[in-house]
Amino acid sequence: MSDSIDRETVEQVARLACIDLPASRVDETAKQLAEILEYVGQLEQVSLPDDVEPFFGATESVNAIRKDELSPSVARPDILSNAPDSDGEFYQVPPVF
Amino acid sequence: MDFSNLTATQCVNQFASGEVTATALVQSCLHQIQQNDPSLNSFIRTSDSALPIAQALDIKRAAGKPLGPLAGLPIAIKDGICTAGLKTTAGSRMLEEFVPVDDATTVKRLVEADAIVIGKTNMDEFAMGSSTEHSHFGISKNPWNHQYVPGGSSGGSASCVAAGLTPASIGSDTGGSIRQPASFCGVTGLKPTYGRVSRFGLIAFASSLDQIGPMARSAEDCALITSVISGHDPKDSTSAKNDIPDFLATLNQPLKGLRIGICKQHFEEGLDSEINDSVKAAIQVLKNLGAVITEISMPHTPYAVAAYYVIAPCEASSNLARFDGVRYTHRTEGVKDLAEMYCQTRAEGFGNEVKKRIMLGTYALSSGYYDAYYLKASKVRRMIKQDYDTAFESVDLILGPTTPTPAFQIGEHSQNPLAMYLADIYTVSANLSGVPAISIPCGISNRGLPIGLQLQARSFDEATLLQTAHQFQMETDWHTRRPNQ
Repeated sequence: MSDSIDRETVEQVARLACIDLPASRVDETAKQLAEILEYVGQLEQVSLPDDVEPFFGATESVNAIRKDELSPSVARPDILSNAPDSDGEFYQVPPVF
Repeated sequence: MDFSNLTATQCVNQFASGEVTATALVQSCLHQIQQNDPSLNSFIRTSDSALPIAQALDIKRAAGKPLGPLAGLPIAIKDGICTAGLKTTAGSRMLEEFVPVDDATTVKRLVEADAIVIGKTNMDEFAMGSSTEHSHFGISKNPWNHQYVPGGSSGGSASCVAAGLTPASIGSDTGGSIRQPASFCGVTGLKPTYGRVSRFGLIAFASSLDQIGPMARSAEDCALITSVISGHDPKDSTSAKNDIPDFLATLNQPLKGLRIGICKQHFEEGLDSEINDSVKAAIQVLKNLGAVITEISMPHTPYAVAAYYVIAPCEASSNLARFDGVRYTHRTEGVKDLAEMYCQTRAEGFGNEVKKRIMLGTYALSSGYYDAYYLKASKVRRMIKQDYDTAFESVDLILGPTTPTPAFQIGEHSQNPLAMYLADIYTVSANLSGVPAISIPCGISNRGLPIGLQLQARSFDEATLLQTAHQFQMETDWHTRRPNQ
């Protein structure tokens, strides 16, 4: 694990996360992320048995199965009512290119 | 009339017997909110439907129709939990105008039980915080001292119950967000077992850690509410099909022979001495009630916060990807293309703490770092769970402080976020392993701030938690103490 994080990495992470990060905030963000990464770096000290399985969920249950039955879904106008822009049938977004 | 000291159980009983009307209970809450909330800021909004619903309930009772188990109970809902037709913001500018189409399953069950949703409570944005300082709708205050935080992220839900604005509330707990504010505000708060309560309609922060639960003035009240909100829900495939015991039926069983483990790692460096003393005094009370106390060791406890601050941001970075300016109300206008719209909407709609955690999660999951961070943290999570499994072979409950210090001052940790993260040091392990845990008041500090005691149990054994907390509350009066308004 690396405890430091440079400007380029922060800019790359912001791009991946789709968050516009002004140049004036890059250094401060790098410092904040580095602080947390330094703290979580202590996980390196934990010695793990070779065969330890990761625990990804707080439950051991797997494969919740249900009958495939039709039921009413939410009405289109209700869903679109929270959209910033729609034509009444579809979401509308700015040009892709 | 002023009903601000009634417990949830008393509200329900007095309504059922005809001593009070639902209308009077709701009017009393709305009056208290109007009088006291401008300085506390525990609510983001109240519900215009509360009074008409109460009036309808009074008619229903007068007609002799059957009443639900929570009939007449005014209840506040954390604003990260969806309420159909009532704005639900998760404390974020991103969702400032969001009106859910559906009730969360928890809300649906409360409403079906004839509880009355009184309003939506303030919270750290998307539940990311331990102080309710990170809300788009302003800082909530601790009713015991307005210079101090109420804790978080369910700070509004804790503050409104402690201040007597409403007898009970619903919170959510991802790393301690019910128990830590319950502790800071002197109320009782239960995080049920992961899967006990449906998460459908809870705006997700970290899906493998989030759980909804009650906050109230007694363990008995928490038992009453938990009975209603528990149970499998086809809309949440991680909700458990386990039987729901009658939590109220076992409250009065004696504690004789109950085995309680004291985790020695909870009493090491960093624990405030007044909290240490209050928790030790509580141990003596439980000993006198017949509990058998033994010291136990949970060696991976010191790594829980570090594991949590990898796992929770990773899950958050994925969950919060849905807020992209297309579906959920907020969008930055005047952009040249779709990509710019995504990036600017998210920059504008999210607060700094949320952006920081999304970027942290994105970094930890990105190519080349996954093994070192997420995989390693998930393996440490397994070790933490195994600590619990081992402990519960020899004890029935684990007891310790809920938090290392009482409430801190507003702004105290603004330059040192890590210090704030450590407020969850004793609570995050229960989320990582999925076990249920409760915080109950067990003292007051010299500065006049509440101190909380945490009990943790085996998965799906909320009954023993609630029974022990209730027996403790029968012997002590910490849970009845109120702040001077």
